[in-house]
Formats: sequence, structure tokens, C-alpha cells
Amino acid sequence: MDASPNMAESSSETSKTRGVVAEYDTPEALIAAANRVREAGFTKTDAFSPFPVHGIDEAIGIKPTILPWIVLTAGTIGCITGLTMEVWMNAISYPYIISGKPYISLPAFIPVSFELTILFSAFAAFFGQWFLNGLPKFSNPMFTSPKFDAATDDKFFLFIDARDKRFDDKGARALLGDTSPLSVDDVIDDPSPASMPKAIYLVVIALAVLSVFPLLVIANMRVTKSSSPRFHIFWDMDFMPYKEAQEATILFRDGRAMRPPVPGTVMRDDSNLQLDYQLGIQLDELAKIDADRATRLVNLVQNPDAQAAAAEQPAAPEEVVDNTPWVTDNPLPINLETLSLGRQKFEIYCAVCHGRDGFGNGLVNQRAQKILATTWSQPSSLHEDRLLEGKMADGKLFNTISNGIRKMPGYASQIPVADRWAIVAYVRVLQASRNASADQLPADRRSKLVREAEVLKRKLEAEEAERQKKAAEAAAASDVPAKEAEGVVPDTAEPKAPEAEKESAAAGEADGKPAAADAEEKPASDAPAGDAPSDPKSDDAAGGDEKKTEEKPTTEDEAKPSDDAKEDSDGGSQATEQAEEKAAEEKPVVEEVDGDSEDEDATEADN
Amino acid sequence: MAIAVPNKLDNTYEQPNQRAPLVLGESTTYHTITESVSSIAERMPSKGWIVAFLICAHVAAFFGILIAYLIYTGVGVWGNRSPVFWGWPIVNFVFWVGIGHAGTLISAILFLFRQDWRTSINRAAEAMTIFAVVCAGTFPGIHVGRAWLAYWLFPYPSLNLWMWPQFRSPLLWDVFAVSTYATVSLLFWYMGMVPDLATFRDRSKNKFRRFVYGVLSLGWSGSARHWHRYEKAYALLAALAAPLVLSVHTIVSFDFAVSQLPGWHTTIFPPYFVAGAVFSGFAMVITLLVPCRSMFKLEHLITIRHLENMNKVILATGSIVGLAYGTEFFIAWYGQVPAEKFAFINRAFGPYWWAYWIMVTCNVISPQLFWMRFFRTNLVAMVIVSIFVNIGMWFERFVIVVSSLSRDYLPSAWGYFTPTWVDVGMLIGSFGLFFTLFLLFCRFLPIIAMSEVKAVLAHQIHVKHAAEHGETH
Repeated sequence: MDASPNMAESSSETSKTRGVVAEYDTPEALIAAANRVREAGFTKTDAFSPFPVHGIDEAIGIKPTILPWIVLTAGTIGCITGLTMEVWMNAISYPYIISGKPYISLPAFIPVSFELTILFSAFAAFFGQWFLNGLPKFSNPMFTSPKFDAATDDKFFLFIDARDKRFDDKGARALLGDTSPLSVDDVIDDPSPASMPKAIYLVVIALAVLSVFPLLVIANMRVTKSSSPRFHIFWDMDFMPYKEAQEATILFRDGRAMRPPVPGTVMRDDSNLQLDYQLGIQLDELAKIDADRATRLVNLVQNPDAQAAAAEQPAAPEEVVDNTPWVTDNPLPINLETLSLGRQKFEIYCAVCHGRDGFGNGLVNQRAQKILATTWSQPSSLHEDRLLEGKMADGKLFNTISNGIRKMPGYASQIPVADRWAIVAYVRVLQASRNASADQLPADRRSKLVREAEVLKRKLEAEEAERQKKAAEAAAASDVPAKEAEGVVPDTAEPKAPEAEKESAAAGEADGKPAAADAEEKPASDAPAGDAPSDPKSDDAAGGDEKKTEEKPTTEDEAKPSDDAKEDSDGGSQATEQAEEKAAEEKPVVEEVDGDSEDEDATEADN
Repeated sequence: MAIAVPNKLDNTYEQPNQRAPLVLGESTTYHTITESVSSIAERMPSKGWIVAFLICAHVAAFFGILIAYLIYTGVGVWGNRSPVFWGWPIVNFVFWVGIGHAGTLISAILFLFRQDWRTSINRAAEAMTIFAVVCAGTFPGIHVGRAWLAYWLFPYPSLNLWMWPQFRSPLLWDVFAVSTYATVSLLFWYMGMVPDLATFRDRSKNKFRRFVYGVLSLGWSGSARHWHRYEKAYALLAALAAPLVLSVHTIVSFDFAVSQLPGWHTTIFPPYFVAGAVFSGFAMVITLLVPCRSMFKLEHLITIRHLENMNKVILATGSIVGLAYGTEFFIAWYGQVPAEKFAFINRAFGPYWWAYWIMVTCNVISPQLFWMRFFRTNLVAMVIVSIFVNIGMWFERFVIVVSSLSRDYLPSAWGYFTPTWVDVGMLIGSFGLFFTLFLLFCRFLPIIAMSEVKAVLAHQIHVKHAAEHGETH
């Protein structure tokens, strides 16, 4: 190639010349030529190379691009967009509560904001670059020359634009010819039309219209009503051959799709399966004796709603010989927890009538006695002989609590089954606190009690001896009878000493007398007269005076047995505690003689 | 304008006072570079290419059929069962996303560090990124169960749901991270390719090719003004892609680390995942480019030095990954959390011990061979190691996903994961898709960034001239 006129030049007469271009072999030659052209004063020049040539920017005077600022702006917008979107979507439009975090959880919003910052910046860098470069542009005068194809291969071109005010075809060619180019050519206008063929526009418009059509159909279907079923591409289990609630069916004679449970179905709950536990009756045994009743009872448990209709009276009448095979052992584990529960429930539900001590003199009874209620029948004392362990089965006691007896209503609806059994256990404790024999105690407790009884006995004997001595002296000194002295000088324990002695001796004996007699005597002895007949130990209770006698020596020695008694009765005995309280209360008032105050104390304790 | 560099020069040795040449060949000029790269797309494909393409395309079609089967039948065709609901699909997802990272790392981070050796491999590595992300994106897309509703993942004003995505979930971050990554990688790849597409356009003999490549190259003329903005934009994209590539695998690791599962809930995951991703990605580049350079006769452009540099990266990242495995165990012991301790003992000695030790052998031990020069520069040896690394990195994700999920806090809910034939088929199928796309790329697009290699050659010539003229440079 040389600088001589070529085809392009010959056609330049018909087409407008856009400038002159020179072709070089190396980037160094290009830069050298560009420097010369710039020194010659040309400003509208451009260079073309297959790769970015180092130093060409200065050689043809390219100003720095504003692209970085566009990218920075876009990145900032991306970051703000991300944050705004997240805050608006998750905190304002549809607030999410996630793990109790604040609605606007900035740390969790960082990743998406970061990604959007990068995404927006990258779009800006990519599209901004093409926009600033004026690309895509498929019509370029440079492309008219076949030589120019080498610009993307291994040749370098320098172009002087005809619009440069110094441009002059001859001069420019001469200048470029001096820079040892491979060739110098005119650049002519692209003769082909710059605009795209109309057919392309038509095709694009047609495609755009067609692509909108499905969307319009969908939009139309969304807002109009139709009698035909919805068109389902994916069924998503929307249609399944099952019956909705309350629907009819032809499969069953009664036409109901919802089926009641088959008769005899039992609930899948352990406690409900344990019918003995629910009823307090050994059903297997009952079924042998009275199958009908057993069936009725089972139905009763399984359909508690039908209880009223069933008219079952599980409680056997008192008078009839009771052959029901009651459950004999409490099914609950007998431990402190059960007993505490039983005590709590007993004091909530039972104590109002039966009294906290179980003697049947609760507040309701006291009130009934006071107003002489005619329909009132005295609640049983739980210490009655017929109710003691061994006489009445635990199951029957449970049944009584559940279904009531005589005037007592059933508590099945108020007290859960487990709690009722716990009450039974506690009632046994209450009974034991009155009726247990010393040999029921653990050996260490018993020996301790015996020791203490010995101590007390010796002490009382000593006092007795002293009293007799004093009495003898007094008799010697005056004629006042000992019996009168007893009443006149109440602040001394001497008059009651014999009885106290008798009692403490009884406590020491292991012959079935109450082991905790010392402690538990008090509530019983303080009980009102009405209560007394039912007290199995009423023979010991000689009234308020005797009480005093006991109180008199209330010292550390005295307090201990009551502590022991409490523990012996599984630590849950109310009666024991009552005694203890009393002991504590009365320590400072040993001298008090007034029997009434004792009564009041007992009442308070009952409450 | 040729440079007198012998074809067989061992450019892995440094010469005193001069940089080792990155472009070899006694008669290599700008034009021969154009020629050797463009002719790949211009001549009829070789028999080897056709056979490889047919095989891969069939495997890819099999993948498509399996996806259709999955969508038609339901995700029950996979082995994902309680307690392992993230089975192979998520393992494959993380594996493929990781593979992609090497491409962006080579094109962006090495660009920012002015590592000229990237120019011969960056195009293929970027293409690999795009195709790996395509494979990666497929798996969570079909793992959502009802794949036709996968667009619910994006925040759009829904008339059905009347609600928005939950932006505190790492799974949603993942949607943004992976889709941004795919988009930016595509832009970066395409923008880098435009000058080379213009070369293809200008060399086209028939009108159809000229039209297609003409449209794709957007009228690129090689103007200095265009180059100026183009280079700025390229640098900006590189600067944006560098933190992006780090963020993507960080966020993928958040899918695991933000949960409270023993073995997942660790702060080491983000750096460990990123290192692992670069590691596996470079191994995949080696696996692809070693056969490629001999098939397409590009040994003078993709030299042993390029491959050796990549092997060094593999060695470094492999050692980082090994360190991370050790650190995980140390923290499990040092943290004294019983569940965490159990999780790691279970990983190494539990029912998946075999997977764990495959992982350690492939990822930690096999790259250590690269300490030796022989293995770094021997083609067969490096391909074998790179395949080991690929296997190891797949098993790493398998170990993380499956061993932790199969035995968490509740021993009564423990289970053993067994893949189904669909799982296996989909893994193989995704490789088929990946290689099909890569083979098509080799056939139709410039697999080496010609303009960048030419710039490197220009620099090499410039330096040589300067040396000849006694200038100090």
C-alpha cells in the first residue's frame, strides 16, 4: 500500500469526504504520527488500534472520562434503593417480626444493599461506557474501507476529521504522508443508508405486540368472571377426592361424611385407658360379679357427657352389703410431692366441711350448727373407725370423693383424677396422725420418742414428788385441802400432773396408743363439745385444763416430740403442724389459764 | 514485528534483569495471534470437538429430561429425606458457584494487581464462570419444589401473596448475590469480548457471520477515544467484581453459618468458603485449559508459565482450605460446646468418614505436590491433581451439608442420606451442560482475549527494543 490515490479517492468526488486516514504498522509509529499531527494544530483527530495503545491519550489529547462519576452516582442510588426497599417492604408495608429483632435490622440489610450497589454500578459502567462511546453504531464511515478491517487485527490508523477548522485535504494528506505511513486514504461517507431497514422495525413491532397479547389475556381473565372452572396448569393438590366437613355422602346409610367413632373406641390417652384408675374399682373383678354394671361404668368413663343420662350411681348405698371390688392401693406413688398436692387440694375442697384436721367440723359445719340448719347433716369425721385404712378401701374413698355420699356432692367435675387420688393419700395421712401406733414408726424415730417419753416421765415424777411433798408440807402447815389448791392456784402445773403423767406414759407405751399423742392431742382436746363424741381419743381429752398441763412444761424438750410427730406422718400432717404452731404460740403465755383462748386457737387452726 | 522468542523456551525460569516472556514463538506477531485465535472459530470443527460435543450435548439433554421428570413428579425423586433436606442439589449448587469464582478472580482481582499473565486465560475462565453459574442457578431453582413459582424469590408486588420477601434470611441474600454475580459476570465477560468480536467481524468472509458478529460487536471500531472509556469501564467493573466475588461465596456460606446447626454455625465459613471457591475454580480452569491449548494449538499463548502460576494459586488456596479444616477442629475443641465437638468428631469418624477423608486427601494432600516443580509444570500431573481437587471440593460441600444435617441435636431424628439415581444423574448432567456450553464457546467465540494478549506482546516488544537501544526501562 502506498499513499497514491485509490478507489476511495476516485469515489470521493461523488461522496462527501469525511477526512483522511493513515495506516501504520506499529503503535510507536502511530504515536509519533499523532504527536506530529497535534503539533500541526489539528484537534479533531482519532486513532484506531487493535488494542489500547499506551500514550495515545496524550498524543491526541483525550480528556478524562466522566464515567467514574456516573458509576459512583449509580452505586449510591443502588445502595439507597436497596436499603429503602428493605425498610419499606419489611418494616412498613409488611412488618415482619423475626426472632424479636427490630423491624429495621440494618446488619441484616447490608448484603442485599451491597449487592444492589454493585449491580447498579456495574450496569452504569457497562451501559454508561457504550452510551458515552456512542455505541452501538453500525454505520461508520471508517468501515467503508476494506483496509480498515485490519484495525482490529494488527494495523494502527490515524484519522484527521474533515470538520477540523485547519483541515484541508491536500495539506492533511501531505502531513500524514510525512509520518511514514503504510498508506494514506480519504474516508468517504457510508453510501448505505444509516437507518435500519423498515422491515426490521416492522418485525420488532409485530413481536412486541404479540408478546403483549398473552399478558393482556391473563389480565383480562383475572378481572372477569367466568362460569367455567379455573384453568390450572399445576393442580397443586387443589382438587382431591375427599369430603369437606358437613358434606353428605352416599357411602353410609346415614348420609354423613363425618363419621362418629365406632362404639367402644377408646381415646388414645394413657390415663383414659386406666379405667380402674378412673373409677377406683377393679373392673376385671367387677365384670365377673356384675358384668352389666361394669359395662355401664366403662361407658360412663368413655362418654363423660352422657354421665347425667346414664344415671349410674357408682357409690354403693351405705346399708347394702358392698361387694364392689374396690381398688385397695392408691395408684399414685406415695411421696412428699403427692401428699403435698393432696394436702393442698384437701384444704381447698374438703376442709370447709370436714375441717383441716378431718374431724368433720369445718367452717360450714360450725355455721350450720350455729344457725341450727335443719337439713344439715354433720360431715363425717375422717377419723371414724369405719373409714380407717383397712376398713374402707382407697378405691371406695376415691369413689366417695368422685361421686359424693349422702349430702356430700361428687367432686369429679371439679377435681382431676390424679388430684382425687392425692387427696385419698392425704386423708390416710390425716388418719395415721390420729391412729398410728408407735411400732409403725421407723425404729430410730421410735427409740427417740421412747427416750423423750422417759425424760418427760422422770421430770413429771419429780414434779409429782415435789408436789406431794409440798402438799404434805401445806397440809402440815394448814388445813386447806389439796383439791382446792388445785383450783385456786392455776399457775402451777401441779394439780394436773397426774393426768399429764398418765398421758406421757401412754405415749411411751407401744401398745397402739398414738405415737404423737403429745403433739396431736391439742386440737382434739380443744375441739368443741359437739366434736368430742366422734373423737376416738376423747377419753384422753379431759378439757382445757388438761391442755394447760401439757403446755406448762413446754420447753425445748416438749417441742421436739411434736417435730418428730410431724415427720412421722410424712411431713404433711396438718394436725401436727397445728400442734407445733400452738406450741410455738403458747410458749410465751404458759401462765395463761383461760380455756376460751385455747378454743379460739383451735378454731383459727381449723380455719 | 515478530519477537524472537523460541517456541520451546521454558519461560518458567526467571532470567536475570528481564521478565519472563508471556507470549512465545519465533514468528509471533499481532497478526499471528489474531490468526491462531480466530481460526478456531473459522475452520471446520475437528473430529475430537464433534465427538466431545455430541457426548456432552446428550448428557446435557439427559439433564433436561431429569429436570422435567423432577418437576413433573416432585422433589421426592431425589434422596432428600428427613433429616437431610439439603442433599445433593445444594451440594451441587455450592460446588458450581465455587467453580465460577476463579473466572472473576482471574479477570478482576488479577487485573487490579496488574498480573499480565491473566490475559491469556481470563476469557476462558470468565466463560467458565458464566457456565458454572448457569449450572449453579439451576439447582436452587428446581430445589424450591414448585419450580414454576421460583420467581416468588424476588421482591415483586404480588397480587397472590400480598407480602414481601424476608430480607433477614440468608437464603434471600443468596438470591440477590447469585443473580447479581451472574449479571455482572455476564456484563464483564461480554464487554471484554466486544473488541475481539469486532476482530471476528472484520475477518468474516460470509455475510451472515459478518452480520451476527457485527451486531454482537456493537460497531466497535477501535477508536482511541472508545478505548479510553472502555479501559476505564473495564477497570471499574474489575473493581466492582472483586468485592462482589468475595461477597458471593461469603453469602453462600451465610446460608450455613447463620443457621444454628452444629458444624455450620461457625464464623470461619466466609473466608474458608471463598478460599475453597478460588481453589476449586482454578482447578477447573486447569482441567479445561490443558486439553484446550493442545487441541487448539495455543501453547505459545497459554504457556507453561501461565499454568504454573495457576498451580501456585491452587497450592496456596489448598493450604488455606487445609488450615481451615484444622481450625474448625481446634475451635470445636476450644469452644467446648458438646454439640459442636460431636459434629466434628462425627464428620471425621462418623458414618460419613469416607467422604471426609476423600475430601482431606484430595484437597489438602494432593495440592501439596505442587511444592515440587515437576508437578507444577507437568501437564499430565497437573490435570490429575486438578481433577482430584474438583472431586475433593465436591466432597467438601457434601460433608458440610450432609454430615451436619444427618446428625443434629436430636438423636432420635438422625438419619443416613442416600442419593437416588436422579441425584447422580443430575450431577453428571450438570457437567454435561457445563461442557456443552464450554465447547460451544470454544467453537464460536474468541477463547483468548486477543486485544489484551496483543497489548502484552506490544509491551514485550517495547521492553526488548528499549533493551536493545540501551535504555533503562
